[in-house]
Amino acid sequence: MIEAALILPAVLAAICLLLGRRTRLVEAVSVAGAGSMLVLGLYLVLRTFDEGSVDEGIWYMDQFSGLMMLIIVLIGFLAMVYSVPYMRHEHDSGEVNQKRIAYYYGFLFLFILTMVLVVVSNNLGMVWIAVEATTLVSAFLVGFHNKATSLEATWKYLIICSIGISLALLGTIFIYASSLPILGEGSDLHWTSLMAVAGQLDPSFLKIGFVLVLIGYGTKAGLAPMHTWLPDAHSQSPSPVSALLSGVLLNCAMYAVLRYHILLIHSPLGGGFSSGLLLLFGLLSLGIAAAFIITQKDYKRLLAYSSIEHIGIISIGFGFGGFWGIFGGLLHMLNHSLTKALLFFGAGNVLQKYGTKNISEVRGVGRTMPFTAALLIIGSLAITGSPPFSIFTSEIMVLTAGIDQGNLLPAILYSAILVVVFAAFMGHIVKMVFGEPPQGMEKGEISKMGLLPMIVLAAAILIMGLYIPDILGDALRDIIALFGGLV
Amino acid sequence: MLTSLVQTLLILALSPLFTGLIRRLKAYFQGRQGASVLQPYWDLAKLFRKDSVVSQDASWIMTATPYVCMTAVIAAALMVPLMTTSSLGFVGDLIVVVYLFGMMRFFMALAGLDAGSSFGGMGSSREMTVSAIVEPTILLSIFTMALISGTTDLSGISHNLASTGFDLVRPALFLALAAFFISTLAENARVPVDNPSTHLELTMIHEAMVLEHSGKHLALMEWSSMTKLLLYMVIMANIFLPWGIDTDLTALGLAAGAAAIILKLLVFSLAIALVESSMAKMRLFRLPNLLTVSFSLSLLAVISYYIL
Amino acid sequence: MVSTLSLDAINTLAAVILLADFMLVASSRMRSLTRIFALQSLAMGCLAAVVAFETGAEHIYVVAVLSVALKAVVIPRFIDYTTAKIQVNREVEPLIKIPGSLLICAAITILAYFVTEPIMELGTAITSNCLAISFATVLIGMFMMVSRKKAITEVIGLLIVENGVFLAAISTTYSMPMIVELGVFFDIFVGVIIMGIFAFRINRTFETIDSTVLRGLKD
Repeated sequence: MIEAALILPAVLAAICLLLGRRTRLVEAVSVAGAGSMLVLGLYLVLRTFDEGSVDEGIWYMDQFSGLMMLIIVLIGFLAMVYSVPYMRHEHDSGEVNQKRIAYYYGFLFLFILTMVLVVVSNNLGMVWIAVEATTLVSAFLVGFHNKATSLEATWKYLIICSIGISLALLGTIFIYASSLPILGEGSDLHWTSLMAVAGQLDPSFLKIGFVLVLIGYGTKAGLAPMHTWLPDAHSQSPSPVSALLSGVLLNCAMYAVLRYHILLIHSPLGGGFSSGLLLLFGLLSLGIAAAFIITQKDYKRLLAYSSIEHIGIISIGFGFGGFWGIFGGLLHMLNHSLTKALLFFGAGNVLQKYGTKNISEVRGVGRTMPFTAALLIIGSLAITGSPPFSIFTSEIMVLTAGIDQGNLLPAILYSAILVVVFAAFMGHIVKMVFGEPPQGMEKGEISKMGLLPMIVLAAAILIMGLYIPDILGDALRDIIALFGGLV
Repeated sequence: MLTSLVQTLLILALSPLFTGLIRRLKAYFQGRQGASVLQPYWDLAKLFRKDSVVSQDASWIMTATPYVCMTAVIAAALMVPLMTTSSLGFVGDLIVVVYLFGMMRFFMALAGLDAGSSFGGMGSSREMTVSAIVEPTILLSIFTMALISGTTDLSGISHNLASTGFDLVRPALFLALAAFFISTLAENARVPVDNPSTHLELTMIHEAMVLEHSGKHLALMEWSSMTKLLLYMVIMANIFLPWGIDTDLTALGLAAGAAAIILKLLVFSLAIALVESSMAKMRLFRLPNLLTVSFSLSLLAVISYYIL
Repeated sequence: MVSTLSLDAINTLAAVILLADFMLVASSRMRSLTRIFALQSLAMGCLAAVVAFETGAEHIYVVAVLSVALKAVVIPRFIDYTTAKIQVNREVEPLIKIPGSLLICAAITILAYFVTEPIMELGTAITSNCLAISFATVLIGMFMMVSRKKAITEVIGLLIVENGVFLAAISTTYSMPMIVELGVFFDIFVGVIIMGIFAFRINRTFETIDSTVLRGLKD
């Protein structure tokens, strides 16, 4: 059954690429296809949430994979729906031709395929291959516009992430080496096999391996100081792709790191070492992101730095550990994806209306596109951690964890930086939304269809802020049990 | 003791022969007939008959340098094993040899400056640039051999390596040999570092430093340079690839040792002639690239001794 | 019992790999970069073959053959083809001059040795001394990416890093499960092709592949 989740996007990608110039057909296939991915994905997710983990040899889904799968198919579907009017507008304004639109949808499905591959693989080597594949496929999406700035962003993305991935490969090899004394030649690098003997794995190999994996996959996740590709790549790509990159891909990379973290928790080394490193990188990311958010001049880069900030928060959550830390971290993965997608969709609308990414040149969105403006305000309040939205919930949980664990200094730093980010971020957004729009700007939304995914997301983050569905809560508790419930 | 004296005399006597051989081989590669192999002997004899002319502005360094250089190479020749491994090792080891060459270089550079002409000064400064990188290279390469064989005494290194067959051979040896070969080219003013037969000031390093000498002094300088070249080749032959050298002072051993060293010296002469004929002299500013490569090779030799 | 001939062969090949690292840093022409990289990959393949011979594990032979075929033949040819198509200046343009680069690489090698010394006992019986060289190769590859201006040399630096990782795999574990090795090779291959495509696009847009022009996006 899990293979179906891999075959489906592959088939859809092929269909889109083959359909070529028949744009209407491609759009219909894409939306329908994404819808079926959503249904299939939800089925698989609910199956694991209800029945526990599914082990099919090379494919493996437990509740953690389920959470990630949920994020992938949900944001994937919404991004696909948003892409339709977005790409139509790009086409109408002469930026892209029809062939490239088909190419866009095809690669989008390939991208989703690679991310699903990351979360359903049992073999850690397969996970590596999948993460590398996400870099290679998304490079084409990041460089979609073929402009000088896009090419620069794509090149940096390719090179920096490839170095990171090579280090991750080295780390994977060391982790494999740690299992050889016990499992001998029969060690197959399956996560399930490694977990079974976790208590006997060689600590020194595990240590080096984890450091390398953290730096390597952390590069893809956007942890500072390996984040330098992120602002460029996320701001230069088309907005639906940015939403997928920020909301989903970063989480998949974190997922890879956390799988190793779980392994270390159950090993003789214990979770202290890896938690400490996660905390360190998380705080660093938070700090650096905050600094750049204050001085930002480009609103898409602003959102990109916000992603770095939130990955930092996720990392801090897992670094703090304990029940609330892990619960907060996991919930934050979901909440951040929803909120960031909302914001990138809004930014996409603004970009298509105003034609510039410069904050100082955008004024009066409230007058020209009232719905988008309202949704942008909601999204900004949410992303900076205001109640009653969901991000507030997860951020508070992380803070609680910090205080519980006695990590007072990091907890204080964390809260202080969040306050600073709130002020800076809201400052930028408010400047854009209010005020007088430029002369002669046509009033009215880009499209109604584009607003639908945004409204869905806004509703989701509002509801999640007030109430976490039981299914989700129980699943999260099961995942925490995976983490050992402790550090 | 006796063997050392005999070896030293042989080295002094044979050095012009090998320089002549290299020149003959180069001529052959260039399609010329070339001068006789014994030509350097006639050149030296001619120079010894003439008087030296010394500039009025020169100091005692100008007249002392030829003698210092000659003394240095004779002292070095005493410590380098030629046909047998029993030489005057107790007097000094590899560090002494390297610094004897260093002393020779120092005085030659001073002498170049001494006469006050601009050619000499230019040659001296270029020589110092080259030797800044080459000297550590030589030290490290020979030091690698010392590490491999366990002693810094040159004849001791030779002895240990030769008597244990191929057991001690490591990749470090070949790396050190490569580095030393490049240093040989650099130290003895061979292409691609310097052109030994040039008369254009733009391309001189060694020739510029000896430009002001004449007559007896020039003869001594030329002879000491030729001996230095021979000594470098002997070091390459007997320290890096010592198999065949006599270790026990028997007549058979000595004969074998003599044959081995002649063969190795012929091979190295051929190698130097080949390298000189197939490459052009490098631009001065590109020299540090080549020399740093050889330095890295010698550094690698030491590192790989420890790693591998 | 491991034969000394195999041990010697492995040590010599490892020395060749380390030497190739330095030669790569010292080269000033693009053509020699691909040639030396091919040599290094060939040495890697031979090393894998010797390991396969000693351990009797046959799937390592496949890995060795793949390594030689892909990294010593196909990828260097592809990079030469891309360089020719872009008609780029044949000089490698270093940001740090060659003598300085070589000295830095020597320092890196010594550093790598010190870093891996405590772990060397954990390696396999046959190839544990290659671990230091693999670390040095990874670091030198990264150094090359940072200190050379042309975009294509960045790709070559990446490939050297991958070579180092491959050598580390052989030193610690002999080899990973077959499917992982195959996937890794495939990924590297596709990665190089994609980077070639983008290098071509960059040249088309910027008229140069000097990566110092890629400075437009700043905060």
